[in-house]
Amino acid sequence: MTNTADVIVIGGGVIGSAITYYLSQEGAKVSLVERGDVSSGTSSACDGNILVIDKMPGYDTQLALKSQRLLAKLVENLDYDLEYAQRGSVLVVEDEKQAKVARDWFVRQKESGLPMHYLEGRDVFEDEPLLAHDVVGLVECASDSSLNPMAFVYALIAGARHAGAMIHPFTEVTGIRRDSAGAVCGVETTRATMSADRVVLAAGVWTPALAANLGVDVPIKPRKGHILVAERSPRPARRKVQEFGYLLTKFGDTEGRSVEPDMDSYGVAMVFEPTEHGNFLIGSSREFVGFDRRCNHHVLELMARRALRFFPTIRDIHVIRTYAGLRPYTPDHLPIVSSVPTVPGLYIAAGHEGDGIGLAPITGRLIAQMIVGEPTAISTEPLQIDRFTKHEQKEE
Amino acid sequence: MDDDTIVCRCEEVTVGEIKQAIRDGAVDVTGVKRRTRSGMGLCQGRTCEKIVMRILAQELGKPVSEFIPATVRPPVQPVTFGLLAEGSDD
Repeated sequence: MTNTADVIVIGGGVIGSAITYYLSQEGAKVSLVERGDVSSGTSSACDGNILVIDKMPGYDTQLALKSQRLLAKLVENLDYDLEYAQRGSVLVVEDEKQAKVARDWFVRQKESGLPMHYLEGRDVFEDEPLLAHDVVGLVECASDSSLNPMAFVYALIAGARHAGAMIHPFTEVTGIRRDSAGAVCGVETTRATMSADRVVLAAGVWTPALAANLGVDVPIKPRKGHILVAERSPRPARRKVQEFGYLLTKFGDTEGRSVEPDMDSYGVAMVFEPTEHGNFLIGSSREFVGFDRRCNHHVLELMARRALRFFPTIRDIHVIRTYAGLRPYTPDHLPIVSSVPTVPGLYIAAGHEGDGIGLAPITGRLIAQMIVGEPTAISTEPLQIDRFTKHEQKEE
Repeated sequence: MDDDTIVCRCEEVTVGEIKQAIRDGAVDVTGVKRRTRSGMGLCQGRTCEKIVMRILAQELGKPVSEFIPATVRPPVQPVTFGLLAEGSDD
């Protein structure tokens, strides 16, 4: 069996699904290939945040903001219950030392046009009464939202199918085909040979292995993150809450908070997310342990302890499930959304670490624009694959 | 079983919703779970999992023995944040 499309997208997680959706909206004939069920890798083992509050001021923030706006349109256009809620989110500031950094952060982000607020003193507890009473401040971003990530993938898939895309789950790519000039011309899979002049690698942490066969080095590493799921219970906060120290650990600063050493070595930082079903999720951890997705009990303990530090009232609430996912880490914390100069017709959209759900709309839009040949919604220069090799050359 | 019969009592998922998930592409217990929430509640599928397996077998025309339970994830039974935070040596 041979089948022909304009574009083949490899990967049925949130990134591949969003690309397939946006491309098929542009009228392109798209085939999505996924080796398992759709939404069965990292997109099924994460939380559902659409955040700008945790982005670096500048490009990172503008990218996230554009994605938030696209998501608002998707919520209207996709005929699916995404469990979407725009409640805003807050960062909790623990002490005066953090407050100095947090106020600077807040001022820079407010100046860049974000709907940010800073609360301190009694205002903190009027806003979130169940927070530990020794915290000193809250930074709020009102535009932040959340949804059910798996529902989001199913919705994008259904929307893409409706626009004519072909979805091939349980179909593993065994090789990427190139013509005599070296350009991609399709893929070999466990089910069929498929032809297309454009191939998009959107396989998250599994992208480097696919690209290596084409001689392309993709510097993505799996970074494991755990999540605890709490039973349905009264909410200890009305919206997304993260410790300000989360930002510090995200960007590798371990000086900004005083915690037991293991909290830092496992990158444990409190992240709280209420869900539409009345449960709540507690994160987070960050560790490089290859492709091992098993939960580490010690890390779960540390996360529970960290959650209690900020929400002492959850002591008697039950944890009913835990899971770990492999976030696709890149050295500079920005995803790769790029064509590949050495292989005509090849595109890479991967490396979103913990931002895949939030950045899926803009990623899908950008790849669709690149392929269709429209101007992109934002400059893609900071997202190009060759930034890593250019950087190395500079250091030499 | 009637389509309105509730299979997952924790999350109130019906036979009809499970059949719809299978039509949408679910081929195993985990696929049904991700699409419907059946098995995501307090009992973590202990009550409904066997029934979900039977519906899968029936809808996909395969023997029940071909289906395996969803991935077991810790904790084995619900544990409070307080107890988890204290740690254990097991």
